[in-house]
Amino acid sequence: MSTMKKKWTPFLFIGPAVLLLIIFSFLPIIVAFGISFTDTNLIGLANWTQINFVGFDNYLELFSDQKFMQSMANTFVYVIIGVPLAVGSSFFIAFFINLVGQKLASTFRVIYYIPSVTNIVAIAVVWGFLYNQEYGLFNYLLSLVDIGRVPWLEDPFVAKLSLILMAVWKSNGISMLIFLAALQSIPRVYYEAADIDGANRWQKLIKITLPSMSFATFFVTVTTLIGWLQFFEEPFVMTDGGPLNGTNSIALFIYQEGFQYNEFGYGAAASFILFAIIIVATLIQFKFRKSDQTL
Amino acid sequence: MFLKNRVEKTVVTGIMFIGGLIVSLPFFWMILSSLKNENEVLSIPPTLIPNEPTFEHYINLFQNLNFDVYLINTLIIVFFSMIGLFLNTMAGYGFGKFQFKGKETWFIIVLITMMLPGQVTMIPTYLILNEMGLTNSMSGIVLPGLIAAFNIFLIRQFMVTIPDDLIEAARLDGAGEFYIFTKLIIPLAKPILAVQVILTFIGSWNSFLWPLIIANDQSLYTLSVGLALLKDQNVTNYGLQMAGSTFMVVPVLIIFIIFQKYIIEGFNVSGIK
Amino acid sequence: MRKIKILVFVSFLFVIITLSACTSGDSSGDGQSDENTIQVWTMSDGLDDFVTDFEEESGITVDVQSIPWESAHDKLLTAVASGEGPDVLQIGTTWVAEFAEADTFMDISKYIDDYENLAPDNFYESAVGTTEFDGQTIGVPWYVDTRALFYRTDILEEVGYPNGPETWEDMIDASRKLADRGDDQYAIDLPTTDPQFPFILAWEQGWTYDIDKGADSFNSSDFKEAIELHHLFYDEGLSQMGEGKEFFQAFSDGSKAMFFSGPWDIGTVKDRAPEIEGKWDVKVMPTAENNKSMMGGAHLSVFANSEKVEQSLKFINWMAAPDTQAKWYETKSELPANKEAWENPVLADDDMVSTFGEQLEATQPLPLIPEYERLGNEILTTLEEINRGGAEIDQSLEAFRAEAAKILSE
Repeated sequence: MSTMKKKWTPFLFIGPAVLLLIIFSFLPIIVAFGISFTDTNLIGLANWTQINFVGFDNYLELFSDQKFMQSMANTFVYVIIGVPLAVGSSFFIAFFINLVGQKLASTFRVIYYIPSVTNIVAIAVVWGFLYNQEYGLFNYLLSLVDIGRVPWLEDPFVAKLSLILMAVWKSNGISMLIFLAALQSIPRVYYEAADIDGANRWQKLIKITLPSMSFATFFVTVTTLIGWLQFFEEPFVMTDGGPLNGTNSIALFIYQEGFQYNEFGYGAAASFILFAIIIVATLIQFKFRKSDQTL
Repeated sequence: MFLKNRVEKTVVTGIMFIGGLIVSLPFFWMILSSLKNENEVLSIPPTLIPNEPTFEHYINLFQNLNFDVYLINTLIIVFFSMIGLFLNTMAGYGFGKFQFKGKETWFIIVLITMMLPGQVTMIPTYLILNEMGLTNSMSGIVLPGLIAAFNIFLIRQFMVTIPDDLIEAARLDGAGEFYIFTKLIIPLAKPILAVQVILTFIGSWNSFLWPLIIANDQSLYTLSVGLALLKDQNVTNYGLQMAGSTFMVVPVLIIFIIFQKYIIEGFNVSGIK
Repeated sequence: MRKIKILVFVSFLFVIITLSACTSGDSSGDGQSDENTIQVWTMSDGLDDFVTDFEEESGITVDVQSIPWESAHDKLLTAVASGEGPDVLQIGTTWVAEFAEADTFMDISKYIDDYENLAPDNFYESAVGTTEFDGQTIGVPWYVDTRALFYRTDILEEVGYPNGPETWEDMIDASRKLADRGDDQYAIDLPTTDPQFPFILAWEQGWTYDIDKGADSFNSSDFKEAIELHHLFYDEGLSQMGEGKEFFQAFSDGSKAMFFSGPWDIGTVKDRAPEIEGKWDVKVMPTAENNKSMMGGAHLSVFANSEKVEQSLKFINWMAAPDTQAKWYETKSELPANKEAWENPVLADDDMVSTFGEQLEATQPLPLIPEYERLGNEILTTLEEINRGGAEIDQSLEAFRAEAAKILSE
């Protein structure tokens, strides 16, 4: 093998994908970054000579925008509660599916994946009924044990928790599949060796299963975190950010303020604040994870 | 291996069963609601089993949907997305199993593309496609979604499960790089590729935004766009929507059931080590 | 070495396929080159079959592209950004200002006299009002839309208003009696997500938006009265704060005996609540200073960069004809903007629809400012703060005016 060839091989593998990604995904991000320093609106979009450079005005304005600050606060609540819950529950589902027999496992895989493919309108209708304050199933069940009506979607704080529960329910499927594939790739000999050493099952879980899956856990945590920071669909279909802006997320704010009202510069600036948060959160994870690989 | 006796196994199975029933209820409600009349779909308390089952929504669906054209377009997009998946897998392997200059920078660029909400880049992407003369063409519809950082990242993560010695051994045997990739890596990565195929299929089967924005002709629309056309501005016909969703989800389930068995049909790496 | 060549080959093959696909797409796709084909963007599914009569008459081929409502805004944005769009496009009245400001539409004022059906006199005055932007005529009214009162005749009779409330005083009186019927009984569901509704309330108090005054327009006692009126319904429990029961069920069992909505809900009530047939009716808005409702609907416009102006106008002229509009009503139940079309028996003989026709005479055109919907949503937010959050009306209005001034200055 010539060294010349060796040098180029990796680029032949990553080349086509990276090239396409740069043209259709990365370049637009650069453009959007430029837009965030301008006052681009619909008029500017039609006639580029009408666009003015405004420096950091959009960013400064965002930090004095009550609605945006509240969306940020809401998003942090979503992330802090939602991410551990989503990663943990999908791990346990995968773990338990792996325990039951082959035949049952394949049924359970389908069943637990189903929320991910259920249409969002159906989800909104069904969960809307579950959460209905007067007539909903949840409050009916609670009334049986003498607990009063919970304002599931009517109170700004409770509504956040309700949306988190719903989003965890919906998002488990994909992470579960990834964990299942990871569980499958753990070499059996590790367990056999542990059996010989007389390890109990908790030791095996903590010493073998979890470390062997760290590459998958890392992936799921990073992508789940990114997903939750961009939390959008649930508040969009269930509450439209209400009540009293209590469920608005940064991504929903960007949609409402930036794109519904054609304030593209403002919306782009908000999305780069979100971007900065995401990149910091991701880098922290890259830094703190076990050094099983280099970046 | 983890559970010691029958009792434990029964308990776990029981819990899984009840949990499964709860999580999948909305799905079954969706299917059953597609057979209900408009009155019953939203009635409170809701019914699970339709009182008077009706196929009107399905009849309505197939009468009003330009079905064959949209199906062909959707399948073309699915086909190209699978080529995209192949490119993603190549890139994931490249990032996972090679050391090269600038690797970190390139990978950061890949990751950055998942960090902005799609709406922000929609117009810039459209303008780029427009400059390339790709509007109103199938390539314009396919290209923006072909490569996904999520997929590259996922493959890269899973490459750690494949021992380097294996690849080195193959190289020493004189195997070419592309041969190693197709004949050794791909079979070894079966479980995660099965996950990828499922996710890619779902994404492309439901593609909505780019077909709509790029097309200047309804002959380029997909099934999802066709279904969205059946929605009225003011009145939501829930029964019809449920019928449409049910119809769309059937192929997804078929693909899922076929490919999910590869997820556990994992290659036991220990055998080689 | 050979394997690498294969790899390179595969990647380049892909690029080649892509490129060849795009060239073929360009040549076959749009019919720009064809003189007698016009492209039309619409959000109304079903227009494609509807235009065949026109195609036969005129020899012009109409290439209709239907766009789902939920994504129409995105699609229009891309047309504005690239300058490449259709020849004719449908535009909702609330979007006119923002897109007209960006020069999306051709000024057709000089052509109006050349076509028999385009004269402004043919249409409802308020509908024409939203086709005139900055001295230009940017479109021709296609169909219209407004809000009126739906009510249960039997239940309103019990509280002394068999023909429904005439005035807002009647309305409040009837509502109090309806809410007094017991727990979980309400009078009316006020629209909580429709940004036009707060404006309707304010217009009826005699308020109007003055473009020259901007945010100061909201500094009027009439506007405050509208907010207070809205608050009264929640303060006294005449309207339900939460989501409650599915609405048509509530209308059917009488726990919510009234609602404001558009003509499409005539059909919805018939479908969803067949059991109350003959026990409900539609009435024009209750009167305060006046009983003006909103004027919504859609226009047909020529895209600014269209090269087929004559063909496009021919098409719009056909769509504006009374017969065409009456026929469109039969097809899609959308109300004609052309007044003459209302003489057609399919409309004139239908009492409920005629009520909407009557309401259309009493409408206020929405102010043609791009911020209109945004201001409406801000008012809804302010109302939520007052009704749900318990904020002081005066303070909230003060905050709203500041917000409005900021929005309008952008």
